Amino acid sequence: MEQSATLPTPDDIKSLVRPDHVHRRAYADPAVFALEQERIFSKLWIYVAHDSQLKKPGDFIRTRLASYEVLVTRHSDGEIYVLQNRCPHRGARICMVDRGSSKIFSCPYHAWAFRPDGSLASVPHRKSYPENFSFDDPSNHMQRVGKVALYRGFVFATLNENPEPLLEHLGPMTEVIDNLVDRAPDGEVEIAESSFTLEYRGNWKLHLENAADIFHPSFVHSSSVAPARRAPTNASILDQDQTRLMLAANGLGYEEWEGIQLNGYAGGHVYMNNIYNAGVMVSQKADPVAERYRAALTARHGAEKTAQVLGMNRFNNIIYPNLIINAQYQQMRVTIPLSVDRTMVRIHCFKLKGAPDEMFHRAVRFLSTLGSPASMIFSDDVEMLERCQQGLARDVGPWIDFSRGVGQESRGAEGQLSGAASEMPMRVQFQAWVNYLTAEAA
Amino acid sequence: MLDYAMQRRIELFLLEEARLLDAGQFEDWLKLYEPQGIYWMPSQPGQTDPLNVASIMYEDHAILSMRVQRLLEARALVLTPMPRTTHLVSNIEAKEAEDGEFTADAAFICVEHQADRQRIYSGRHAYQLTPHDDSFRIKLKRVALMNCDGVHSPMAIPL
Repeated sequence: MEQSATLPTPDDIKSLVRPDHVHRRAYADPAVFALEQERIFSKLWIYVAHDSQLKKPGDFIRTRLASYEVLVTRHSDGEIYVLQNRCPHRGARICMVDRGSSKIFSCPYHAWAFRPDGSLASVPHRKSYPENFSFDDPSNHMQRVGKVALYRGFVFATLNENPEPLLEHLGPMTEVIDNLVDRAPDGEVEIAESSFTLEYRGNWKLHLENAADIFHPSFVHSSSVAPARRAPTNASILDQDQTRLMLAANGLGYEEWEGIQLNGYAGGHVYMNNIYNAGVMVSQKADPVAERYRAALTARHGAEKTAQVLGMNRFNNIIYPNLIINAQYQQMRVTIPLSVDRTMVRIHCFKLKGAPDEMFHRAVRFLSTLGSPASMIFSDDVEMLERCQQGLARDVGPWIDFSRGVGQESRGAEGQLSGAASEMPMRVQFQAWVNYLTAEAA
Repeated sequence: MLDYAMQRRIELFLLEEARLLDAGQFEDWLKLYEPQGIYWMPSQPGQTDPLNVASIMYEDHAILSMRVQRLLEARALVLTPMPRTTHLVSNIEAKEAEDGEFTADAAFICVEHQADRQRIYSGRHAYQLTPHDDSFRIKLKRVALMNCDGVHSPMAIPL
C-alpha cells in the first residue's frame, strides 16, 4: 500500500479507546485507516467470495482485499486463487467487470495472457524477449495474493503469511454459516446472480456498529414503520405481505427489546438473537410455501434437526471485520472499506438448493426491500452513518460515548452477553480492534 | 402511427407525472397508477425477470402506498432536507397496443438536489397505459436506469 503518513503507534491506538468511550480519530484519521488496512484487512481472514460464484474453471469475481483490487478465480486444477488485478508487464488493470468466466485473462495493452491461477500462458512475439525470459518466473505472473481457505463454501483470504487457522478466527461464528447451509434441503446454498452495491460517505466501522445496534431502528426507521402499521394487511399482489411486515418489524419497542440478547466475542464477532420470533420470511399462517419447504427439509434432516435448524433465530451475525449474515433471511452483506470516510457495501441473497422456488422469490424480495439503493430501510441507515461521519470529521468534543449498559453484561462461555439496550457489541468490537491494531506484526 | 392528438395526450400525461413528482405531490402521483399497477426499476440491464433477480424497486400499488406515506412522514431521514428534483421526459414514442391500451417509451433525466449535493439519474421509461376517463392510468412503468447495475447512493425519490 502507498504509505507516506506515519502509522499510529500501539500506545497511540490504545489512547483512542477507553472502556466506555472511543476517540473520534478512530473513524476520521487517515493514518488510523492505513493501520487498519495493514493490521486488520491484511492480517485477518477476509471473506472474498462464495464458491457457488466459482462453479467451473475460469469463473471469477472481482473484489477487494485490503487496499488491493483482486480477482478470485477457479483454475483448471479446481483450486481457488486470489490474484492482483494487474498485469506484471506494465501494471495495467486487466479485468474491468465484477464477475464472469474466462479461461484466459488477457492484458489489453501488450496482450500478455494469464491462466486463472495467474501463470503466464503466452506473450506475443516471444522471440523478441531475452533468452532468459521465463514463463515460470513468478514475477511474470499475475501476482497471487496470500492464502485462501474455505468454510462450507465461504471463501476467505488473507495477506498474512502466518495466519491463525480459519476455524479459530471464525470461532463460534461457524454456527451461523452452518445454519445457513443447513437450511438448504439439498445441503448447498448458492449466491443469487443479482446483488446490490452501495457506497456511503462514512467509515466502515459505522456499518458494523449499526448492524449490532437494535436500539436505533425504532427511531431511524419510524418513517417506514408508521406507514406499514397503518397499511392494510395482505394488500400486495406481488408478495405475501413480506414487505409490509419487514417495514413494520423495525418498530420494536422497549417491551420487545426485553427478549433480545446480544452476544459479543473476543475477535469482534457479534450477533443478536430472539429478534423476530416468527420471522417474516415464513411467518404466515397457513403458508403453503413454508409448509412445502419444511417438508423438504424434514425429508433431508428429520423432524428434530429441522426444528433445530429453523429454530435458530439469530440476526445480523457479524463475522469481524467484513461479513454480516442473516441465515434466516438467506441474506449477506459484505463491508468493503475504500477510505477512512468511504465504504462500499455489497448485499447478496442465497438460494437454498432443494427449497421451493417461491422461497427464493421471497429472499429476492427481502434483498430488494432491505438492501436496494431505493430501500425504505437501508437508505435511512446510510443517512445516519453519513451524518455521524460528518460530525466525527470535526475536532469538536473528541470522545464519543459507548457507555450504555457498561458493567451490566454477563460472561458467557465464549464471550459477553447483554440485553438489547446495551452498547456491549461496540465495546467488544473496539477491544478486538485495539488488540488487532497493536499486535506485533506476524 | 398514432394520430397527433393521441400522441400529444400521452405526452402530456407523462409530463403530468413528472410535474407531480417535482412538486412533491406524491399522493396525486400514486393516483396515476392502476390499483394493480406496477412500478419496476430493474437492477440489471435488459432484466426480464423480477422474481429471481432482485430489483431496485418492484412494487405494486399497496407497496407504493407505503412508500408514498413514508415520503410524507416528517421524520424520513433520507428526505431531510426534502430533495428538489427536475424530471425531464423526452423522445416520447407512443404506440397503440391491444385492447385499446397504449405503450410509451421515453428517455428521462432527473436532477436531484439535496443539501450539499446534486445527483443526476438518467435512463429510459417504458409504460403500459390504460385509458381512464379522458386520461390514462399506469398499468406498468419500467424505469431502466442507465447505471442500474452500478454502485449507488440511496435513492430517495421515485424517478
